[in-house]
Amino acid sequence: MATSPFFDPATPVLIQGINGRVGSNHARNMRAYGTNVVAGVSSRGDDVETVPVFRSTREAVAMTGARAAVAIVPALAVLPTVLQSLDAGIELIITLAEGVPVHDAVRARNAVKAAGARWIGASTPGLAIPGKAKLGFLPSASLAPGDIGVMAKSGTLSYEVCHRLVQASLGQSLWVGVGGDAVKGMRFSEVLPYFDEDPETRAIVVVGEIGGNEEEELGEALRARGTTKPVYALIAGASAREGVTMGHAGALIHGDVGTVASKAAALKAAGAQVFTRIADLIAAVQDGSTSARTI
Amino acid sequence: MMLLEHDAKELLRALGLNVPRATLALTVADAASAAIPVVVKAQVPVGGRGKAGGIRMARTAAERDAATIDILGMTIKGHEVRSVRLEQPVDFIAEAYLSFTVDAATAKVRILISPEGGMDIEDDAARVQLLSATSDLYPGEMQRHLDILCAALPAALQGPVGNAGRGLIQAFFDLEAVMLEINPLFITADGDWMIGDAKLVADDNAFERNVAVRSRIEQQPALYPEAALKLEQGFDFVRLNPNGRVGLVTTGAGLSMQLVDELTARGVSPFNFCDIRTGMFRGDPARLIQVLNWIAQGAAVEVVMVNFFAGATDLAETTGLLLTALDSVALKVPVVARLIGNNLDAALKIIADAGDPIAVETDLDQAIARTIAIIEGKR
Repeated sequence: MATSPFFDPATPVLIQGINGRVGSNHARNMRAYGTNVVAGVSSRGDDVETVPVFRSTREAVAMTGARAAVAIVPALAVLPTVLQSLDAGIELIITLAEGVPVHDAVRARNAVKAAGARWIGASTPGLAIPGKAKLGFLPSASLAPGDIGVMAKSGTLSYEVCHRLVQASLGQSLWVGVGGDAVKGMRFSEVLPYFDEDPETRAIVVVGEIGGNEEEELGEALRARGTTKPVYALIAGASAREGVTMGHAGALIHGDVGTVASKAAALKAAGAQVFTRIADLIAAVQDGSTSARTI
Repeated sequence: MMLLEHDAKELLRALGLNVPRATLALTVADAASAAIPVVVKAQVPVGGRGKAGGIRMARTAAERDAATIDILGMTIKGHEVRSVRLEQPVDFIAEAYLSFTVDAATAKVRILISPEGGMDIEDDAARVQLLSATSDLYPGEMQRHLDILCAALPAALQGPVGNAGRGLIQAFFDLEAVMLEINPLFITADGDWMIGDAKLVADDNAFERNVAVRSRIEQQPALYPEAALKLEQGFDFVRLNPNGRVGLVTTGAGLSMQLVDELTARGVSPFNFCDIRTGMFRGDPARLIQVLNWIAQGAAVEVVMVNFFAGATDLAETTGLLLTALDSVALKVPVVARLIGNNLDAALKIIADAGDPIAVETDLDQAIARTIAIIEGKR
């Protein structure tokens, strides 16, 4: 099998915040799944299983050659942790915490771009190449190797969609949770090329939701690239009211911006099939052909 | 989240910006102290208040009270008007426009100014002269761009818009704003300025360190029920429809929002949205009891639907807490629980051992079908 252009499962990974209750659990689960966890970073605490724990990211990278970092740190610590990762030369950064302030996310995104690195998050369960490696805590009930590429804003909604794919005997080639925040590391349109160029990915499933313009931007990117792989998109929030936040800070409608109608139009113009019900999306992916039940 | 105009303006006043004197009224009695003439303005977190009749000029005490009563009885774009701002009118010779918005796609700030304010900038974009720039998120950079834009304004506006803009840039950082729009910015005959309307989108994620904004929400739970709840208790509960027939006890923002969509599409209106965050229970059923009690207040609720996808949590632990919570709540309707994920078998055994007090499905669509069947069986 070809290696995913997004992430080589053999990449050495370090985990920041590895000595927290959550951090050590996730670290054990990632190792058990096959992720090449080579180091932890923590201001205190001992090695976790056989993973050596260092006091700084820079030291961890120098001693182990880690190239990807998973930050399991509180929201207000995300920006400094991202900057430390960049300073240590990390190429792929995943931050899981919810609640990163927007001004911090703006600074982190700009710093990551300036360094030529990639950042996935915040507010994400992470990413996975099922059967090989996961960076984060995507649940096993939803993971199976296969040929569907999945990109998602919402963690839990992607658990459900991927669980249903697995139940339909479909699996994932690559699953990337881009996160539910408005300002983030990589947007749908920025992860698209990796799915498009991945020979293991036959079709792309997009788990979107109201708010912002990422789905609209993805539509433009699909057209600009001339993507020929089938794209199936689910957009949550059809019943949401303007000005009412339901959980995700980014999922908020202002005027006509961020509505399901606007997103569906942009994606359909790019040839994607768009759904508001999960069962319809799964059926269409199963059919592998155009369905009459799009909106 | 978008703050009410009153709070946006009072936050700006506290930072030294020019804001008309005003009082906030939740009842007509609160309005009695407002000197006339006065502008009575509905406080809802959406645009288009004027078009909806939510802004009225009152020249007498009787007009003031009538406008207050009328507007407090309104619902604008689905938002009940819970308060009005009674504001001193401003004499002006011109209206300008000024806004700063964090652009998520570029991670920069979009600066927009116009010598013509007071209208809906999006609707009138074609005929309004808009000057725009994109800046890095630093005060000095934003100031540099603003100065360049201001130089293109008519001479009489350059001074006041520049002065207002300087203070607003500082406020943008002090308040950690995602968007700050002043429309209109009144220009007065003496060359000064006054904020006519202010739209401030604050960053929920910054509340932990942003005391000024946070405390306005904490102190006004009646005006910001959902945000105040989230600050106080750390989870989301939104009352969607007082006549809703399904109460939702669900975890995960995206999946819960999707479930509201799925039910609505099948003609069933949920009473509430909920992201209860099972990962934060820590062995305590208190949050479940709280949510079930709120749902029990829904007069039309005929069934409670639970949806727990245990990705990183333990379903057996969560299910045990759910049964404990149900035992201590006077809920008179059946419960359908969709359970899936870690430790499902142990969770199913807990329910069976308790004598099957709730109906269980592992498939979401089956759980939705069962929920709807209960409602239809009652018709």
